[in-house]
Amino acid sequence: MAALGSFVLLATFVVASYALAACVAGGRRRSRALIESGIGAFYMTAALMTVASGIIVHAFLVGDYTIKYVQRYSDSAQPLVYKITSYWGGLDGSIMFWVLLLSVFGTVAVAVNRERHRELIPWVVAVIAATEMFFIFIMVVHNNPFDTFVTQAPADGRGLNPLLQNFYMAIHPPSLYTGFVAMTIPYAFGMAALITGHLDDAWLRAVRRWTMIGWLFLTFGLTLGMLWAYEELGWGGFWGWDPVENAGLLPWFTATAFLHSVMVQERRGMLRVWNVTLVIVTFFLTIFGTFMTRSGVVQSVHAFGEDRWLATLFSGFMILIVTFSFGLVVYRLPLLKSRHELDSWASREAAFLANNWILLFSAFFVLFATMFPTLAEAVSGQRLTVGPPFFNKWMLPIGLILLLLTGIAPLLAWRKTTLSSLLKEFVWPAAAAVVTGAAVYALGIRVWASGICFALCGFVFVTILQEFIRGANVRKGATGTDMLTALIGLVSRSRRRYGGYIVHVGIVLMFLGFAGQGYKRDEQLLLKIGQQSTVAGFTIRHDALTVTSDEQKQMITGLVTVSRSGKPLGEMRPAKWFFAKHEDQPTSEVAIRRAPGEDLYIVLAGYDVATQTATYAVTINPLVNWIWFGFAVLAFGTGIALLPERAYVFAAAKLPAGAATTGLMLVLLLLPVAARAQDAASVSPVQRSELKREMEGQLMCMCGGCRAPMNNCPMAPGCHGLKDQEPKLDAYIAQGMSRDAIKAAFVKEYGETVLLEPPDTSFNRLAWLFPYVVGGVGAGAIGLVGWRWSRKPDASQAESVQTMAVEDVAAKQRLDDELRDLD
Amino acid sequence: MSPKAIKIAVTCVVLAGALGGLMYTTLAQGTEYYIHVDEVMNDPSAWQGKHLQLHGYVADLRQRPDSLDYRFQVKFNGKVIPARYTGVVPDTFKNDAEVVLKGQLHPDGFAVEPNGVMAKCPSKYNPQTPRTAGN
Repeated sequence: MAALGSFVLLATFVVASYALAACVAGGRRRSRALIESGIGAFYMTAALMTVASGIIVHAFLVGDYTIKYVQRYSDSAQPLVYKITSYWGGLDGSIMFWVLLLSVFGTVAVAVNRERHRELIPWVVAVIAATEMFFIFIMVVHNNPFDTFVTQAPADGRGLNPLLQNFYMAIHPPSLYTGFVAMTIPYAFGMAALITGHLDDAWLRAVRRWTMIGWLFLTFGLTLGMLWAYEELGWGGFWGWDPVENAGLLPWFTATAFLHSVMVQERRGMLRVWNVTLVIVTFFLTIFGTFMTRSGVVQSVHAFGEDRWLATLFSGFMILIVTFSFGLVVYRLPLLKSRHELDSWASREAAFLANNWILLFSAFFVLFATMFPTLAEAVSGQRLTVGPPFFNKWMLPIGLILLLLTGIAPLLAWRKTTLSSLLKEFVWPAAAAVVTGAAVYALGIRVWASGICFALCGFVFVTILQEFIRGANVRKGATGTDMLTALIGLVSRSRRRYGGYIVHVGIVLMFLGFAGQGYKRDEQLLLKIGQQSTVAGFTIRHDALTVTSDEQKQMITGLVTVSRSGKPLGEMRPAKWFFAKHEDQPTSEVAIRRAPGEDLYIVLAGYDVATQTATYAVTINPLVNWIWFGFAVLAFGTGIALLPERAYVFAAAKLPAGAATTGLMLVLLLLPVAARAQDAASVSPVQRSELKREMEGQLMCMCGGCRAPMNNCPMAPGCHGLKDQEPKLDAYIAQGMSRDAIKAAFVKEYGETVLLEPPDTSFNRLAWLFPYVVGGVGAGAIGLVGWRWSRKPDASQAESVQTMAVEDVAAKQRLDDELRDLD
Repeated sequence: MSPKAIKIAVTCVVLAGALGGLMYTTLAQGTEYYIHVDEVMNDPSAWQGKHLQLHGYVADLRQRPDSLDYRFQVKFNGKVIPARYTGVVPDTFKNDAEVVLKGQLHPDGFAVEPNGVMAKCPSKYNPQTPRTAGN
């Protein structure tokens, strides 16, 4: 199987290089056929990478320890889930996982945009294929996850690092990678636009959407990383400015900057060079972050070891990216001229500009501070480091200023804001800030940074609230609906704007959690059985210390009873786990008592089984749960900004009748179970209108002029065709006819043309199918050949294993090491 | 140069200068010197009061009964510094363990700051790297 895996990787490299070549040639000659075949090949890389991933996962599942990577990162006692997640547990596999994600993402992006951005697609494919090739190249020549033991393979694996055997760790790297990888797509579109010179704002739409998707995953990954650190590492915090965390944060800053400044370009035609630069820098930083953590350039608790060769490869690739990308920008400078100038500093574009500078500065600062030890050593030979205090000293005010800008920018108008309107807008938010600040002070919190943060949170929140209420009021007046419908209509009308505001609410909630860190308390307690101690109102009693074990690990568990002002709160069980194969790295199983106000966080820091004494590190973490909750809000907001138009059709009600529907729809959304229960029984009014809307989307308006479906006729509501069709549709629905019956009835009356044909006709669909068929047959053929090819070595290997079993173990080990150095 | 260009240039210079200056001063306070025991003992007075990350091996570890107070020696390359620490230690913190200690050097020894004990573990992702204490 391993030979098959290596072969598939090689095949992917070849196919990707073909995709690159075919698309470049096709793009230059404007040959549709070449481009199509290039795209087909590009899709096939995704298929091949899926096959390769299937092989490695299969190897993990069956415990094929002849493969070095499998042997190093898993063992037979591991639970099934962690056997699968071992796939990305190490360097080689994580690179392969990267390519898999990139090929899948690329395929989706190309499939979605191939008609909309026809002239860009060949170059998009070329750029993504080139990136894929780089990573596959690394695997093929240096980090092949399918490497096998040349001599006898061990009977069992070493096991995945215990710290990684955690739910969050199983999903944190994939989501972070997904974020990283998704940033390749906007870069590819940006490059394609630069190469072709199609630099009107159309390409921005594709770039913006994909940046948003990548940004969402990146945020998700970072949040999960925080959760993991909080739950698993047991030092009581969630962000330690570790280089690996910082590597994920760098592109996050620049992507956030881009998502803001792109609005300035769309609205005012400014900042065009700047935006292209941000796209390039974001992509560059994802590669740089990978380089930083994989090559051992910076020291980190969870970087993968040092690797000069990898460092050289990455450096080459990064130099290539920078020269190529910025070379193109310089070449296209004449096309990137700004259309307007900044009118006033009291304008929204100026606020966005400030936000961009600060975000970019943050990226620069984090990069500098992360690289500082490496830089200092290179310059002075002295090893200097900067710790979290240095980061915090800088990032704290920066964060607060960003938060302030989050509140101010929506209050400013585009182009120029007058002083009087500014004052009017500021009254409520400013009042909220003052009230919040005073309340925080009254509550006895005396940490200035946290206090300011709380006040700013109040400010931003009221700003956003004010925006929503104002918008809804205006819409209510214009459409005559109730407030709720107006609000939904408002959001559906400008989804990006109001989705963005919801994202800001999420950010505000996260900042609450950050502010809470300003006054967290911790204490270390050394307790004998029955002894108790009080930390910040919580009384903690040490009751017992137990030692248990299962097949994977030994567990030392402390039993603690917690009470608050005499009221018992329950038992907590912090523990230390010693995994059999990693006994020198015990993991702390933190006991956390979660509450919206503050978490009680207990770590079993030390113990003595003989005397039954235990040392507990107790941390009181205020408001930390708001970070995770804030992310949920943020994801919701991003979802709203990303969702296609169709999802909102039901809410775009203009009449009071529609308002009732919308309200009911909301209730239905909240009670999906109830809705399902109704399905079989009678057809409720709400479902009927849902069915009606669906049917309206599938039936043409037969007025003769519009060539549009019923729900989209430009002449609505006065269209004579609709006036004729609508009552019929209502009548059919009232009779309880099924979808097909309704369609049949319409066809009978109006002929086949009443059905809304799917845009791809049957011939088109066949043509689309072609690359898939070729890809499938090709993959099958390759699989068959590879399988037959790899069977023989397998047999001979089994034989050699038998003959060698009697030999000296040490000699084999040495031979293995020598052979490894050779290849 | 047009007046606008001058304005922009001046703004940039002032901003860059201010940020650079701030960065430099905070950096001076924020840096920790990563250093081995023998390097410190070559000229102990030069290192007093600076934030250090001291690299060495633990020896003669003693814990005061029923407390989290530790006293021990840090050795490297034949040189020794006495050290003291109060708090929770990693499980691997034992005699002969390789450690990095954060703290400051005082005339009477090295005071480790809270949570300043890091047992050295080069990479958690590559557990195959064999480490032998004492080299």
